[in-house]
Amino acid sequence: MSAIIEVVGLEKRFGTFQAVRGVSFQVDRGEIFGYLGANGAGKSTTIRILCGLMTPSGGTASVAGHDVASDPEGVRFSVGYMSQRFSLYPDLTAMENLDFFGGAYRLARRARLRRAEALLGDVGLSADDPRTAGAMPGGVRQRLALAAALLHGPQVVFLDEPTAGVDPEARRTFWRIIRKLSDSGTTVFVTTHYMDEAEYCHRVGLMVDGALVALDTPSGLKRAHVPGRLFAVRGTGLDVARLRELAGVTHVEPFGAGLHVRGDLLTAEVLSEAVRAHGGQGVLVEESAPTLEDVFLAVAARSSAG
Amino acid sequence: MIDLVSLAAIVRKEFIQALRDRRMLAMLLGIPVLQIIIFGFAANLEFNRADTVFVDEDRSEESRDFLRGLTAEKTFLAHGVVTVAEMERELRNGTSQVGVVVPRGFGRRVEGVEAATVQAFVDGSDPTRAVAATAALEQYASRRTLEALRGLGGVAGVARVTFEPRLLYNPSLKSRLFMVPGTAASILVILTTIVTAMGLAREREVGTMEQLLVTPIRPLTLMVGKTIPYAVFGLVDVTLILVVGNLVFDVPMRGGVAVVYLGALVYLVSTLGVGLLIATVVETQQQALMVGFFFLLPAILLSGFMTPIEAMPRWIVPLTYLNPVRYFVAILRAVLLRGAGLRDVAEPMGSLAALSLGVLLLSAARFRRTLG
Repeated sequence: MSAIIEVVGLEKRFGTFQAVRGVSFQVDRGEIFGYLGANGAGKSTTIRILCGLMTPSGGTASVAGHDVASDPEGVRFSVGYMSQRFSLYPDLTAMENLDFFGGAYRLARRARLRRAEALLGDVGLSADDPRTAGAMPGGVRQRLALAAALLHGPQVVFLDEPTAGVDPEARRTFWRIIRKLSDSGTTVFVTTHYMDEAEYCHRVGLMVDGALVALDTPSGLKRAHVPGRLFAVRGTGLDVARLRELAGVTHVEPFGAGLHVRGDLLTAEVLSEAVRAHGGQGVLVEESAPTLEDVFLAVAARSSAG
Repeated sequence: MIDLVSLAAIVRKEFIQALRDRRMLAMLLGIPVLQIIIFGFAANLEFNRADTVFVDEDRSEESRDFLRGLTAEKTFLAHGVVTVAEMERELRNGTSQVGVVVPRGFGRRVEGVEAATVQAFVDGSDPTRAVAATAALEQYASRRTLEALRGLGGVAGVARVTFEPRLLYNPSLKSRLFMVPGTAASILVILTTIVTAMGLAREREVGTMEQLLVTPIRPLTLMVGKTIPYAVFGLVDVTLILVVGNLVFDVPMRGGVAVVYLGALVYLVSTLGVGLLIATVVETQQQALMVGFFFLLPAILLSGFMTPIEAMPRWIVPLTYLNPVRYFVAILRAVLLRGAGLRDVAEPMGSLAALSLGVLLLSAARFRRTLG
């Protein structure tokens, strides 16, 4: 497999603020590459650099063989971009929006109208929907924006939080389309807040404060960052500090309404007895499979600890 | 430099958006007509009449006759005979603009064929009116003198040299004929500059600019594409303004219509270009509006629209060479009123064309294709 995105030592500074610090990675053709991180971690900045919307302050990046700094024009033709914020014309219909953006990519009118119709069908929209984009519900708008990003048949699409603020049903539909895209050979570079969505990615990179701190497949990340057995502990009067001191316990993290406790030699019985001994009531301990959220918490905790 | 497929797509999109937005349409097509009518009526510099009070200290047959003759002029609308104190109050609060004081002994002096002086107070806070009122007063006084001379049989022997002026193009000196072309140029510059500056700033605000920037659209294509639709709307406005100006204000069309439209097109490219240029230095629509007015006010005031450029201080004049309004006002007046042809207006037309091209290229050069 050949890399379609190559990033080496990428840096971006805004004045004294360092948004991206020496990030390096490669993305393969047809891969769904997930970029995870808190707000302000540098995800959007990285995407904008890779689309040619921003110039890097240091390092190099190339997309589909075009260097983003020296050949932004080549990059523009090879990539599709869906911004975090809905950025099509709210006063135009779906078809009018696609007609315009197709023209912006210099596609001849008849060809782009045909292509727009087909794409709208692919994402489950109708070409003669009379609604303007501004009048469409969030989920429909996102699919329209995706169609707009795919008009010129880009080799890579960058999706910046494409499902933010969209209902779960619409999110699932959206991810079905993304998988189809990947199956047909389009590389998808997607940022998200939703950990469950990250599970759909072939590989996931974790951004913390502008640095890429982990990069692997979802299962690889879990093995590497959430070792041992994981137990979900629920109940009242849970004493986090005492639990941390227990023999065999390596990590205790708040998770949902309860705690996630990790350790190599633990068993559910030993753990639940210990919790009760330290004042826990109504205690329920179950072994659970680690999620990417556990990975994220583990990595973030380690990074902020220095 | 310009890609035609993209250009056509931009022009189509801008037309759809403008025609779909009722408020925008009203602004583009309704407001110019309304403004030319209102400003056309309001922008009247002619001195018609002055409210006048009289103080008659002489109370003689002669003084009454003098004042009767003055009010017979119609220019001076009599507000009655008052005391000096009342006159002062009337002038101060603006009820009257002229106060005429006939001093004691006026009748006796006229009777005895001596030089007589009548005092006139004229409100100078409006210089145009004050100058006209003073001239009318002097004219009246000299006519009275001539009449008196004639009564004495002395006129025939006096050798007099008089000018016989013939006023060309606007013989009745209607200020409207002078003002309407200037108003038209002002309306067009306000409308087109603001609409384009705000339009591009809105794309930045709404976020569509970001989507536009990832496409391979070239800056010049974008600028020209955003110019064409509004130039078309502007030419429609020119037509409306010319028709209204002719029907309502009798503004003639003595020269070629084609020259007017050519001038208008070149002018619109420059004003739209300024709008785009403004949009390249601002972030929000509000800023666009502010910077827009910062340009518009001096552009209109220094256009020769109201005050002749020749009368401006010498150091200001070079600034007016960069002002598109100046050239279009000159072209419109020349063609509409003086019947000038293309060759007669070649100089302002050429300057305007150079300015238009410069502004458009500058805005394209300034337009950044990245967000940072």
